[in-house]
Amino acid sequence: MNKSGLLVRLAFVIIFAALAVGFVTGQIFYRITYLDETASAERSIGQLFNSVSRALSTAVYVGDMELTKEVIDGLMSNDTVEGVKVKTAQNQEMMFGNVGLTSKTFIIQHPFSPEASVGEVILYPDSEVISNRAKAIGFANAKTLFVQAAFLTIVAIFIAYYLITRPMINISKELHKIEPGQAHRIDIPEFHKSSELGLLVNDINNLLERSEAQLKEERGLRKEIEKLEQRFRMLFDNSISPIVLLEPKGNILLFNDSFNQLVSRAGLKFKRNFGELLVELFVDGELAIGALKESLSNDELATGELRIAAQTDAEIWVHLVVVSIVSEDYRKYYQITMHDISKRRVELELLNQQASYDGLTKLYNRQYAESKLSAMITLKQTFVIVLIDLNGFKKVNDEHGHEAGDELLVHVAKQIKACVRQDDMACRWGGDEFVLILNLNSKDPVLRIAEQLNERITAPYFLSKVKKQVTVGASMGVALYPQDGDTMDLVLHRADDAMYQVKREKETNPNMFIKFFEHRTG
Amino acid sequence: MTRRLVFLLFALTLSSTYAGELLVVVHKSNPTNELNKTQLIDLYMGKYVAFPNGEIAKPIDIAQGEDVKQVFYKHLVGLSLARVNAYWSRLRFSGRVQPPLELETEQQVIDYLASHHNAIGYISERNLTKNLKVVYRIHE
Repeated sequence: MNKSGLLVRLAFVIIFAALAVGFVTGQIFYRITYLDETASAERSIGQLFNSVSRALSTAVYVGDMELTKEVIDGLMSNDTVEGVKVKTAQNQEMMFGNVGLTSKTFIIQHPFSPEASVGEVILYPDSEVISNRAKAIGFANAKTLFVQAAFLTIVAIFIAYYLITRPMINISKELHKIEPGQAHRIDIPEFHKSSELGLLVNDINNLLERSEAQLKEERGLRKEIEKLEQRFRMLFDNSISPIVLLEPKGNILLFNDSFNQLVSRAGLKFKRNFGELLVELFVDGELAIGALKESLSNDELATGELRIAAQTDAEIWVHLVVVSIVSEDYRKYYQITMHDISKRRVELELLNQQASYDGLTKLYNRQYAESKLSAMITLKQTFVIVLIDLNGFKKVNDEHGHEAGDELLVHVAKQIKACVRQDDMACRWGGDEFVLILNLNSKDPVLRIAEQLNERITAPYFLSKVKKQVTVGASMGVALYPQDGDTMDLVLHRADDAMYQVKREKETNPNMFIKFFEHRTG
Repeated sequence: MTRRLVFLLFALTLSSTYAGELLVVVHKSNPTNELNKTQLIDLYMGKYVAFPNGEIAKPIDIAQGEDVKQVFYKHLVGLSLARVNAYWSRLRFSGRVQPPLELETEQQVIDYLASHHNAIGYISERNLTKNLKVVYRIHE
């Protein structure tokens, strides 16, 4: 049995209360009874005296000692009288029995004149007898009271148990077993249809009903949310575009598979933080992200095209869309979506290349070279221009066909590429004409390059297509900017002049291959 | 006037039918001349059966003519005769105190008083003789 259970506590309280009340009322009852009994004993002594007063009055009046003794003996025969003393008006005294602790004095009236007295009687009540009797009665009363209290206690406990405690315990046990959301309900205990307990059970059942309905609704809602979440997840996870949710400091909160793939494609190791707006992921990230941040300070959306700082050879470009989001609890997040534009970028570059390169020789084309030259002239940058014309190319073309001619042109272009430095620029000017734009301003290094180039070009070449060895020569005209001309046309014209000089002299001197423009007087 | 006269006459006739005063008497030779009520009670109720001079007294009751006895005791102790008898029956039990001697008639009392000088008795006023001395008067 549960020590702090309802019934045990109630029983203890009732028993203690009954004991306490029983003890106190027993005490009070006993005391009252005792006092009552004592008073009644005193009263009965008064009555006792009254019953003999007339006889005593007569006896004392006439001074009849015998008769007086007779009367007093009668008094003494009573249990409650311990002793009697008679005093006559003539101061005669008679003592019977013992002197007690308390006494009661009665006047003996004159038999014929009530206002006169013939003496007095002192009665000594036997206090021990009286008190014993009072005690016995008081004790009996207290005993009765105690039995009554015990009986009432038992009845109270039984009633409390059957009417209150047991139903309450049953209710609490049942309630303890019930899980929220179940269809189980508590039965109303017997005899409690319209009592507070019945009301309690009804209220509990109503509460259970409501909570069940609520839970059902919540479950339904949760399912819906789960479904929705699943769809969102699907959308997010299966997106081809890498998507990342970031904190302003760069901690990655959410990312999808595509992002993971992008990182591994770039040969990078996945990290929880790639810096602010994933700055570490990009080539020249600081610069690009700075620009993005600046546009984000004005707008909640920023875009940019950035190259991934890949560890591999892969050239990955992404179009970045950054959206700044403020959540309901006023926190800031960045959502970054990336679109892989590598392929488009390659295509664009190709297009660009086609625009500025010669398709056959992969040297810059004339258009690009001209734009470059005009740009350099605008910046007043010094350069040396070398115009190269092949000798004997037309013959090869005529004898062995265009394809052979093209092969030869590609070969020459390769020789040119091999000879010029990084800073220099080589282009096909058209047909069998080439132009070198050298970043120099003196003649000697030009000569060295030209000699080397001439050697390479004039070396016999085996045409793989027609299986024939051919030999071509080169005529090179050189002009310096700005010494030989301060416009593009002028400089080109002067280089052309020099080149024709070479061609002319070549007829007499086959080893002649280069000439610098010279101002001829006249 | 006539009315008052009639009333007076009526009152006179009424009083004449009564015996008049009761007299407590002793023999003429008795030295006691007068007694008070307490002395008379003590004498008749057995407390102190003697005259003031200490001489033993002998009280006499009248059995016949209960009226007289009744009037006497009623006046003396305020008790009915039954109560007086009860009183004496209580005392007679120990035998130490005796009730008064009871004679039959008033004449016998008078005769007894004549021959006993320590006796005392009560008689109607009209029966008073020369050899008797009145010591107490009871007015009705």
